[in-house]
Amino acid sequence: MRFVKHSAIAFITFVILAGIAIPIVPQPQGWLEFPIIPGLEEKVRSIFFHVPMAWASVLGFLSALYYGFRYLQTKDFDYDIKSVSSAGLGMMFCILATVTGSIWAKFNWGSFWNWDPRETSIFILLLIYGAYFALRSALSSDEVRARLSAVYSILAGLTAPFFIFVMPRIVGGLHPGAKGDTAGSTPVAQLHMPPNMRFVFIVGLVGFSLLFVWLLDMRVRIARIEYQISLKEN
Amino acid sequence: MCEFLNQNQMYIVLVITLIIWSGIIWYLVRIDKKVGQIEKRLKKD
Amino acid sequence: MNFITSTLAIVSKDIHSELRTRYAMNALLMFIVTSVATILFALREDEVSTEVLSGMFWVVIFFTAMSGLSRIFVSEEERGTTMALQLVASPSAVYFGKLIFNCGLTLALSSAVTILYLVAFPMFVIKSMAIFILTIFLGSIGFAAAATIIAAIIAKANTKGTLYPVLSFPILIPLIMTVMKSTARALDGEIFTTALGEFQILASYLMIMIAGSYLLFDYVWKE
Repeated sequence: MRFVKHSAIAFITFVILAGIAIPIVPQPQGWLEFPIIPGLEEKVRSIFFHVPMAWASVLGFLSALYYGFRYLQTKDFDYDIKSVSSAGLGMMFCILATVTGSIWAKFNWGSFWNWDPRETSIFILLLIYGAYFALRSALSSDEVRARLSAVYSILAGLTAPFFIFVMPRIVGGLHPGAKGDTAGSTPVAQLHMPPNMRFVFIVGLVGFSLLFVWLLDMRVRIARIEYQISLKEN
Repeated sequence: MCEFLNQNQMYIVLVITLIIWSGIIWYLVRIDKKVGQIEKRLKKD
Repeated sequence: MNFITSTLAIVSKDIHSELRTRYAMNALLMFIVTSVATILFALREDEVSTEVLSGMFWVVIFFTAMSGLSRIFVSEEERGTTMALQLVASPSAVYFGKLIFNCGLTLALSSAVTILYLVAFPMFVIKSMAIFILTIFLGSIGFAAAATIIAAIIAKANTKGTLYPVLSFPILIPLIMTVMKSTARALDGEIFTTALGEFQILASYLMIMIAGSYLLFDYVWKE
């Protein structure tokens, strides 16, 4: 766990330094210069921060799904604690991804929202998180709540492949220009970037994933303590 | 130093971001320690 | 009782209780009529593109489904018959019975909306009947498939009415998007083969939803 925390801090600090400080020049030489991408120029730096947000929100959903599934298998309440903690974290990252993406879109494509496939799918992820918490708040029994929210997260996960593989074919909207072609409408995309940019980008993805693990661990620990205290009070 | 910063304004952004980031990290580490203490207290009871 | 008899028994039980009270059917019919009337007033004589027409068509179906399809499980909870049902039939029988009933209900619903649209909107001309019929068929069953499992989930919740559309919408989005596209094609009069992509999606959505619901239903139904 300590490795996770230290690496998260180190990686993200690196990305902040490299992502912001490395200059963007017309003819990049070597590792300490980024190329100018027409249409993006300085705004391209957002990629190092906005995409990991979206990636973390997907991580949150996948963990919530996984822990929910494990709860259904074992009926161990600790899995429900992990599931709801993942979902809460995932929702926060989803909101951050949507907001940062929207601001970037305003300056790159002219308006805050365009119903581009990727924008639509992050919005749908937001809806799924909202529905998940709405369901949880409407159920009073611990056991029923754990069971039904696990089922719902799995159901929602079943529809996910549609957004990843099918929707880009149907909607075929404006693809984020300089991001190159995409493998699908999730935040995971094939990006045509020069190797030094790609390196910073990957470090950012890994760093924020590690941060996710750290934050999740904290939330789970706190939730477990609260649960223990509530058990003692009863 | 102020002249350097005025010429390469990106570094102003960098400094601001680093300040924000270190604040967040300091807060995170503090909470992490606090939770650890509470866990220890609970274990004792 | 073996599986098929109990499934069919559940279907006929639901049909009979609905026919006895006619409560749900009347409410849904009135809902459809008022929605279509509202749209009619809004549009008057305006020419609308086929995409918008197709979108409005499915909006009406979606909201009508949301007000009607949860009844199969919620009414069991309200009448206190859930436990009896749990004792008498296997979960799979209950699920498929309710599913078949909901499919029938949704098909009836979509037919009603179709007829109303044909009557109320002169611009609603179905040029490719084959595409339209297959879309309605697959779309209604897909709606029923997703709606049934979500209905089972919210039957145990506190705020059932508002929760139902909130939970169903994200799950139904793939279906709604595809079906709107396909209906627009039907209104445009395109040939059958252009809609094959959509039909593939609809068919796979159907299968995934029914398979997933069938596997998950045990966890929802049994304590």
